[in-house]
Amino acid sequence: MTQEKAGQGVGRRDLLKFSAVAGAALAGASLIGSRTAAAEDGLSLKGKRIAISATGTDHFFDLQAYNAQIEEVKRLGGEPIAVDAGRNDGKLVSQLQTLIAQKPDAIVQILGTLSVIDPWLKKARDAGIPVLTVDVGSTNSINNTTSDNWGIGKDLALQLVSDIGGEGNIVVFNGFYGVTPCAIRYDQLVNVVKYFPKVKILEPELRDVIPNTVQDAFTQITALLNKYPEKGSIKAIWSAWDIPQLGATQAVAAAGRNEIRTYGVDGSPEVLQLVADPNSPAGADVAQQPAEIGRTAIQNVARLLAGQTLPRETYVPALIANKANVNEVSKKLGIG
Amino acid sequence: MSVDIQLAPVIHFEPGQSGFSSARGVNLAAAALRAGSLIAFVAILVVFSVTAPYFLSVGNIGNVLGQSAISGVLAIGLTIVLIAGGSNVVTGGIDLSLAANMGLSAAVYATIAQLGYGDATAVAAALLTGGLIGVVNAIAVVGAGIVPLLATLAVMNIVAGLELVLTQNTVIPASTPLLTALSSSGLFGIPALAYVLLVFTLIAAAIVQYTPAGLRLYAVGEFPDAARAAGLPVRRLVAGAFIASGLCGGFAGILSVSNLSGSTTGSGEMLLPVVVTALLGSVFSRRLVPTVIGTLLSTLFVGFLVNGFQLLNISSVLVSGVQGLLILLVVSATTLLRRQEA
Repeated sequence: MTQEKAGQGVGRRDLLKFSAVAGAALAGASLIGSRTAAAEDGLSLKGKRIAISATGTDHFFDLQAYNAQIEEVKRLGGEPIAVDAGRNDGKLVSQLQTLIAQKPDAIVQILGTLSVIDPWLKKARDAGIPVLTVDVGSTNSINNTTSDNWGIGKDLALQLVSDIGGEGNIVVFNGFYGVTPCAIRYDQLVNVVKYFPKVKILEPELRDVIPNTVQDAFTQITALLNKYPEKGSIKAIWSAWDIPQLGATQAVAAAGRNEIRTYGVDGSPEVLQLVADPNSPAGADVAQQPAEIGRTAIQNVARLLAGQTLPRETYVPALIANKANVNEVSKKLGIG
Repeated sequence: MSVDIQLAPVIHFEPGQSGFSSARGVNLAAAALRAGSLIAFVAILVVFSVTAPYFLSVGNIGNVLGQSAISGVLAIGLTIVLIAGGSNVVTGGIDLSLAANMGLSAAVYATIAQLGYGDATAVAAALLTGGLIGVVNAIAVVGAGIVPLLATLAVMNIVAGLELVLTQNTVIPASTPLLTALSSSGLFGIPALAYVLLVFTLIAAAIVQYTPAGLRLYAVGEFPDAARAAGLPVRRLVAGAFIASGLCGGFAGILSVSNLSGSTTGSGEMLLPVVVTALLGSVFSRRLVPTVIGTLLSTLFVGFLVNGFQLLNISSVLVSGVQGLLILLVVSATTLLRRQEA
């Protein structure tokens, strides 16, 4: 009994209040962020060759970050050397090797599996090329520009727990625990769920895949819904990014199980649209600001080359879009 | 694309034509044909050397060699199957399981290394995995008589499935002394993988091009009936080619683990580039047949193209299209030359 009470100590309403406050705080922070960026616009990359190495550009996030970086390098007067590995690790490593031979003034690596890229980032560093990263923390990177993934994970988890009333089974896609941001978001979910004893993460956890992410998530969720046919036996589906969420949402809708809510991260436009649809099972999507992240990373390069010292990590605020505020968030991101 | 490549173009002497000058013209054309693709290759190298900064440096060329090691080993494995099965893509020899084979062998290596076993065990296990896949292919093709295209397609799916089961579709990091040595730089700052590729090619070329067994493989592939009539063990030779190809897959798996510091997902994406490379290889041989050296050249051709484009800073959205166009140009130029010849 006492245990139950402890679990209910943080009520649904408190959670809602909390997420609203958090949202407001983040929105405020984003305003401050953009103001400082504008104020420091004396930056220049004139005559500098800046390498931009993207793991892939097939997702909204990396495409936005990649393009914004190329634009920002050009805007600051530099020459971008931009390569896109198409989510192929072999190609990514080859491109990094060639980049090191090209001796650019800096390399900015966008995403990537740490164990695969780290030896080559180290080789770049050993060759005297400064390495900066976007959304991947590495000891060989001088600065990592990223969303605050602890904040993202916590916000998403609290929204989820609050939406399902603090009890019920949740399904989790955990196929990319090797990717640091995904790992942090997952750990935050586990941390939050720990204090809600009636919330249970269903075992076995599902594994999201690349490529065919949407199709695969659709198939896996359809199979799972057949395994748990009773309404209410599953309350929510969580994934560390929103492409599996897209497939999961479609599967839930197709099975007519709209009591289930789906949760994800990245703010892909198609998922934000689903969140905005009152009849869709998409519950919430934490939107990062990929273009802003890309620009910030390049500005950090300029600061570094101008002799400034960079912080270990630069956080660009994320915005949680739920059924109530999705239109506002979309407007802020410049989508729709 | 039909790639039913024939043996050496027969040089016809038109009756009634005054011998000397026309024969010489034909010989010139034949020489041009033999050299055509090589000239195209060299021309592209020259263009890159002039236009792309850093292209013509030992480090960069070593990089390309090293980056070509994995696809090169796979393409050479496929070349052996192409030789023994005949190079008709639909009915001839093909091994579609090679890329998946590399993925599973890499996963086996990384898993065993993670369990704390030494390099020797992991190498043996990876090669055994590749060899076993080759045996299954051989049984399906030679034993059950299934067309290689279908047999190896089925095996590819099984192997890819096994890799998923073993890795749960995650990255398995691995670090061992052998892997570190393979991913480091050797003599002249050239990556160790570059030397591996060269030595591997020399050994494979020696076996395939200069031993009686290699000659028999060609006989079996081009004229199976004649080979059978001559008393060659056709079935055993074809089976052997699939097993050799499987071993190449296992070996490529080891190289892949060293290059990517572990086993990663998505090995299947290697398949089409490897098939294209192996087929393109015929263009780089004197008689337009699959050869080990020809395949090495075509691997390097593709490698230099990708490298040159990055050095030229060509937008990444254009690279794949331009690359395809250039390959098509080389193949069609050579094919046209050959037709003129015939």
